[in-house]
Amino acid sequence: MESPEHFIELRGISKRFPGVVANDRISLEVRTGEIHALVGENGAGKSTLMKILYGLYQPDEGQIVVKGKVVPIDTPRQALELGIGMVHQHFMLIPRFTVAENVILGSEPTAGGRLAMEQAVQQIEALTRQYEFVLNPRELVANLSVGEQQRVEIIKVLYRGAELLILDEPTAVLVPQEVEDLFNNLRRLKEQGKTIIFISHNLEEVLEIADRITVLRGGMVVGTVLAAATTKAQLAEMMVGRPVLLQIERPDVPAGDVRLSIRDLVVRGVRGRPVVRNVSLQVRRGEVYGIAGVQGNGQTELVEALVGLRPVAAGEIRVDGEDVTRQTVRAIKLLGVAHIPEDRQRRGLVLPMEVRENLVLGYHLQARFTNGPLLDLPAIDAFAQERIRAYDIRVPTTTTPALALSGGNQQKVIVAREFAFAPRVLVAAQPTRGLDIGATEFVEQQLMAAKAQGMAVLLVSANLEEVLSLSDRVGVMYKGELVAEFGHGEASPQELGLYMTGTKQQRAGAAAGPP
Amino acid sequence: MSSGARFFLLQIVALLLAILFGALVGSAILLAIHKNPLEVYGLMVRFNLTRADSIGSILYKSTPLILAGLATALSFRVNLFNIGVEGQYYIGAIAAAYVGFAVTGLPRAIHLPLVLLVGVAGGMLWALLPIVLKLRRGAHEVITTIMMNAIAGALVLYLLEPGLLRDPAQAGTPRVRTPDVAPGAQIPSLLPLIHLLGLRVPESSRLNWLLLVGVALCVLFWWILGRWRFGYEVRAVAQNPDAAEGAGIANQRIMFLMFILSGGVAGLVGLSDVLGYFGYYDIDFPKGYGFLGISIALLAKNNPIGVIVAALFFAFLDRGAQGIQVFAGAPREVITILQGLIILAIVVGYELLTRYIRAQRKREAQVTPPLQPVVAPAGAGEGSD
Repeated sequence: MESPEHFIELRGISKRFPGVVANDRISLEVRTGEIHALVGENGAGKSTLMKILYGLYQPDEGQIVVKGKVVPIDTPRQALELGIGMVHQHFMLIPRFTVAENVILGSEPTAGGRLAMEQAVQQIEALTRQYEFVLNPRELVANLSVGEQQRVEIIKVLYRGAELLILDEPTAVLVPQEVEDLFNNLRRLKEQGKTIIFISHNLEEVLEIADRITVLRGGMVVGTVLAAATTKAQLAEMMVGRPVLLQIERPDVPAGDVRLSIRDLVVRGVRGRPVVRNVSLQVRRGEVYGIAGVQGNGQTELVEALVGLRPVAAGEIRVDGEDVTRQTVRAIKLLGVAHIPEDRQRRGLVLPMEVRENLVLGYHLQARFTNGPLLDLPAIDAFAQERIRAYDIRVPTTTTPALALSGGNQQKVIVAREFAFAPRVLVAAQPTRGLDIGATEFVEQQLMAAKAQGMAVLLVSANLEEVLSLSDRVGVMYKGELVAEFGHGEASPQELGLYMTGTKQQRAGAAAGPP
Repeated sequence: MSSGARFFLLQIVALLLAILFGALVGSAILLAIHKNPLEVYGLMVRFNLTRADSIGSILYKSTPLILAGLATALSFRVNLFNIGVEGQYYIGAIAAAYVGFAVTGLPRAIHLPLVLLVGVAGGMLWALLPIVLKLRRGAHEVITTIMMNAIAGALVLYLLEPGLLRDPAQAGTPRVRTPDVAPGAQIPSLLPLIHLLGLRVPESSRLNWLLLVGVALCVLFWWILGRWRFGYEVRAVAQNPDAAEGAGIANQRIMFLMFILSGGVAGLVGLSDVLGYFGYYDIDFPKGYGFLGISIALLAKNNPIGVIVAALFFAFLDRGAQGIQVFAGAPREVITILQGLIILAIVVGYELLTRYIRAQRKREAQVTPPLQPVVAPAGAGEGSD
């Protein structure tokens, strides 16, 4: 059968939730055999639209046309029967199973009532050969890297006969080398006639991999453009609705005295093993020190030790020369160490509490906010009003609970709070993770403002571009050690990636197994 | 109307609906035993509200319930489940009885505050081990406080042995009790004040000043939890211990203090009976206030002011149960069933309401107009090929 020009046509799809129009008359055509990217800010309606396509939601209005026929898609099973498969952002794999066992889970081939494992393995091998995936079906998933696990997820969908693959933020969890491998896989899938919908935040990646790009904003389609005929700046403007600073200006601040000094720091993890090993670094006044690394290589523990949340096993931390190694969280805070925590909802905010209460969290004992044993609510409210104005936090009243705010506004609450008390050192962990372009731009500008004000900034981020563009120096953490350090402009993302995965090391013998 | 006020009203409505639901199921039961529910409920309300002795009874009964509800609510406020109010009040009561009869010759101005403080100390002491085990070793406080209840029950029996706290004057009688407390340790009656207000509560009522102590404590804790720095830290610890830790709040200290305060309030629960009514602690001392306290805290959503209302409501139902038994020939168990159903309905109702309010709050925040004008996109090319 001749394949139709459009694999999928969405015609006037609308979906409303109480008080919100998530999708507003969205029309979209995805051609057979193309890679079609879907971009938009958080809340633009991408996920809702894909959930409709995958049968998880029903549209209130509009039609879905698959291969020229109007069809209802009521369940994911129906979607699969139509050849639509979803590769989720969070993997749903069982580590104790092999690749093949994970792939067939839920649609196991049987022979005479018994599991036909060998047949399954052969089928999967055929698939990996056809699409040139490097993957051994007999390997345990527990032994696979993140990139390989993602391949298993893709094979899972292909095994079920999908012709259209929806990939939801597939690169968010990958290091640059893995992204390249993924893109090679995707190109190969396309050559073999598969259609791909690619959802992403990262405009550079979208421009590299996609044929066409559809931009959503506020639940509506802003437009569909050819990747070859557009630029990053144009896309960003379409997404946000105003021109966006893609390259944050780094203020030229001469680095001053050492404000934060870490020497031979050792921090132990849950099971008593050192997860931060002999890390030494210094951050000067007006300097941004970036820490790059794959999640789980000790960055979290390093940050927690710095702000007093985790005991230090050995070594020393000094802030402006003062030893804070064994100080309490409160004492370190009072000394002027501001903290933008990695998990803002867990560590940074008490979500059910009012915005104004969250704006003084940790600083609520300051004399200006108290009145004997009482909190001085009028003073706190005035402070909150001032912060909300200064940081353009979108909130109806100062007494709205923080849980009602969007992710970007929640992060603004934390930034507004942490910058309010003349900090000397700023520890920012993943400060832009999960934020959309507008909010990311804001947070990055604030980091640069901190630098300009003479703070020493320690920036831990999984976003390599961000680390490289904002930092004066970049250190790479691998297995708890600082394995490399570069000045601004000395390293490319690809090079950092090699250090992050342990392929390269600056210092001989560093990170070579437990000491 | 502000959204805060609207959500508060919604909570009241949810509460009334829960009571209505309980009453409806109760009606079905009454119909099944051939009683007219309207008559029975009508009689209950008339019996309770038109007789001065009923008012006195309701207020008297509510005193230990307010204290038990407050004690439980204080621990619930930091996500600790103090099931041990029961045992804590046994210990507080027998300790207060001991200091009440063993110390003599003190003026009331010294002796009464002293016995009240001894009661508080007894409750705190009984709460100490569970909270230390919880914070140091992670032992679940539900298990340990239930154990402590059993120990308290056995301990008071042991203390009532001859030669210990048993009244030697009662030797040869079947009465197992402590000696009478000194007059200076007795809580004065509230009747003179009540009579001043014009309520003709009969002299037989044992209504005493501890009621006002309970109400005052509720108001005090409401103020502390809502307005004090300490209350702010309590709310932060309860709603997100990780963020509280990140803010430098000592989680364990807050949890310890709230649990000990809970035990201290629990220590007062039995004192209305010991020092305001019997004048001694005996083997048949009233039991079960601690468990009613759990229901009351649930009904009040751990709000100290709500505790007063919920305790009065429970006392109202309890008095009403007597009324319908005597005058309508309806079994008082109907009222017990009603209590259970209302608690069940309210727990479900509050949960649904919490979700609804959360969704509404989100919606309000989302429709907040942006403060900057949004520029129309420039050069957004249509599918150009």
